[in-house]
Amino acid sequence: MTPSDARLPILAGVAVIAGQAAALFAPPDQVQGELVRLMYVHVPAAWVAYLSFAITLGASGSWLWRRGPGADRVAAASAELGVFFTGLAITLGSIWGKPTWGVWWTWDPRLVTTALMFFVYLGYLALRRAIVDPVARARRCAVFGVAAFAQVPVVHMSVLWWRTLHQPPTILRPGDPTIDHAMLAALLINLVAFTLVFAVLLRARVRLAAAEDALEAAADARGRELAGDAVSAPKLAGFGV
Amino acid sequence: MLRPSVPTHTPQPSDEIARLDGIAVDIERTPVLRGVDLAVRAGEVVGLVGANGSGKSTLLRVLATLLAPAGGTGHVLGAALGTSACAAVRPRIALVGHSPALYPYLTLAENLHFVARLFGVTGSDVDDALEAVGLSGAAGRRADHCSQGMRRRAELARVLAVTPSLLLLDEPHAGLDADSRGLVDLVTDRVRRSGGACVAVSHERDRLHCLVDRVVEIVDGHARPLGVGGKVPA
Amino acid sequence: MTTLAGAPTPLRQCVELAGKDLRAEARAGEALLVTVPFGAIGLLLVPLAVGTDTPLLREIGPGLYWVVVLLFGVLVTLRASTVDGPAQLDLLRLCGVGPGTRLAGRALANTVLLLGVQALLGPVAVVLYDPDLSGWPWLAPAALLVAGGLGVLGALADALAQGLAGRTTLGPLLVAPLAVPLLLGATQVLTAARYDRTAWPWLALMLTADLLTALAAALCAAHLEEAR
Repeated sequence: MTPSDARLPILAGVAVIAGQAAALFAPPDQVQGELVRLMYVHVPAAWVAYLSFAITLGASGSWLWRRGPGADRVAAASAELGVFFTGLAITLGSIWGKPTWGVWWTWDPRLVTTALMFFVYLGYLALRRAIVDPVARARRCAVFGVAAFAQVPVVHMSVLWWRTLHQPPTILRPGDPTIDHAMLAALLINLVAFTLVFAVLLRARVRLAAAEDALEAAADARGRELAGDAVSAPKLAGFGV
Repeated sequence: MLRPSVPTHTPQPSDEIARLDGIAVDIERTPVLRGVDLAVRAGEVVGLVGANGSGKSTLLRVLATLLAPAGGTGHVLGAALGTSACAAVRPRIALVGHSPALYPYLTLAENLHFVARLFGVTGSDVDDALEAVGLSGAAGRRADHCSQGMRRRAELARVLAVTPSLLLLDEPHAGLDADSRGLVDLVTDRVRRSGGACVAVSHERDRLHCLVDRVVEIVDGHARPLGVGGKVPA
Repeated sequence: MTTLAGAPTPLRQCVELAGKDLRAEARAGEALLVTVPFGAIGLLLVPLAVGTDTPLLREIGPGLYWVVVLLFGVLVTLRASTVDGPAQLDLLRLCGVGPGTRLAGRALANTVLLLGVQALLGPVAVVLYDPDLSGWPWLAPAALLVAGGLGVLGALADALAQGLAGRTTLGPLLVAPLAVPLLLGATQVLTAARYDRTAWPWLALMLTADLLTALAAALCAAHLEEAR
């Protein structure tokens, strides 16, 4: 790793420490008390999840346009991280929800949409795993990456309508709408920290994928065995023919 | 009766139906062809031979413009391989592959009429073609209830109904009974006389010997001339 | 060359493809004679699990019907009887059928079959759950929009999962989360009509989802072609 390569992880590490310190020193919420500190990890995790799916969309579109293998690697890496951060956001939200609302899950539009996105991109990853040929995989996954994201806003809108047309929206977000300045600052620092962590992980995952591709290319350069070389003339002598 | 009057075209030696230069193909990262050079001229029938798994069927799919090469250049019926121009020439290419391209739940006649309608060919051509291959009596039988030989005959009827400019045959004699083996000669002859060309893959070298003008062998991912008509090594 | 009677338009080819799929279904009976009874079993089993309380079932009946239509409808769109193997795909490409036309033909056949699935499962749900059917005329456009949207989504999933080992499990995973606007729209149309609320926003939502899906499918179809 070159010094310039190390800069981003160091920056992310500093931001994470600063974010966690800010989260610990931020004042407790008037209603929720110490529980509000979960917000400083839950909200950034959700933000990074949405960011990663948007990157997958952009990279998928780029692949369809330019057919560059790098775009496919970015789309795949970002989707993997997106699924991880969506799962993290849902889990943290659930842990936060139990003491706050008394239930692990509630039918809030944002929760439902996030869960649906989680499953859409689990499908995306399942599709990637199912296809062996790298070009076919990139092609089909880019199509799904674009088609799926085009539908996500409609899914979100439908879920939003479903609640708002049926019963008054429930105020699920903790704290006063006019958030305390110290709390807001802590949240912003954590948003930056999570984004930097995401950037570090994305870069590492893309580099890993590029290294795997380079390994394959090196094997190609050394000369892979032809498909036909695996077939030889039958040896009948051993069977008494 | 099948129209005997296929507009005949006197092939000119310069008419090149397909040309491949250094074509390489990988399937799921495994190289199948490494550098195939091949020219197919109008009016000729080229035989392809090679060991199992040597890439003969893959080469047919490249010639059909259905498989984009990983390396090399080539053109088929004037369209450069791997470009969008291939879509325009595909209706002039027919491929009779290993597995029958028939829909199992449709009858033989329905299968052929379906293809004919996609092409815009009249229904009478299909009925004539079915009669020519001796399947008029079985036209109403579902494809999945037919023997391999019947399905192969139905595919040859499809070629007769839409005489292509480039006919690609993969083991055309497989499953055909002794009486119907002349059908392969009939379809290749029609294509040849109409100014087209054929490429046939076969392991039955004696039959290939009667059918083709020259033979090319696929060895180590390359194409190697093996002989000319009447001089095909057994 | 044999004289062509005139190369057909993509629309004509699309109708031919749909006709071929429907003819295959008429012979195989996979959607209407196998999947529909399976869906009817689903409608029968739910009350055994949640309790056979008639007022409760009357209330949740329409929702259960649409869930069954959605989940079993995805299976209809991925039916094995119309799978195009490599040889059939090669044939279609050599017939000059473009990937968009192929997708549209499959989507059209799916839509017709899904309307059939809805028509057959509807009476079963009415008999089993005795739902309040006031405002039923709204069901007609809702049924059409569900069939159309799910038909296109199913065709897209079928193309994406073409030739893959886990096709019949992967396809529903890709389709089901994206079909949520159709599920909500269909269930809420009847509820809104029953309580004298405006039902058209739900239809508008479904129509938007259908149009976006069709647009995405049309734009992406060309990229599904294995070779240019």
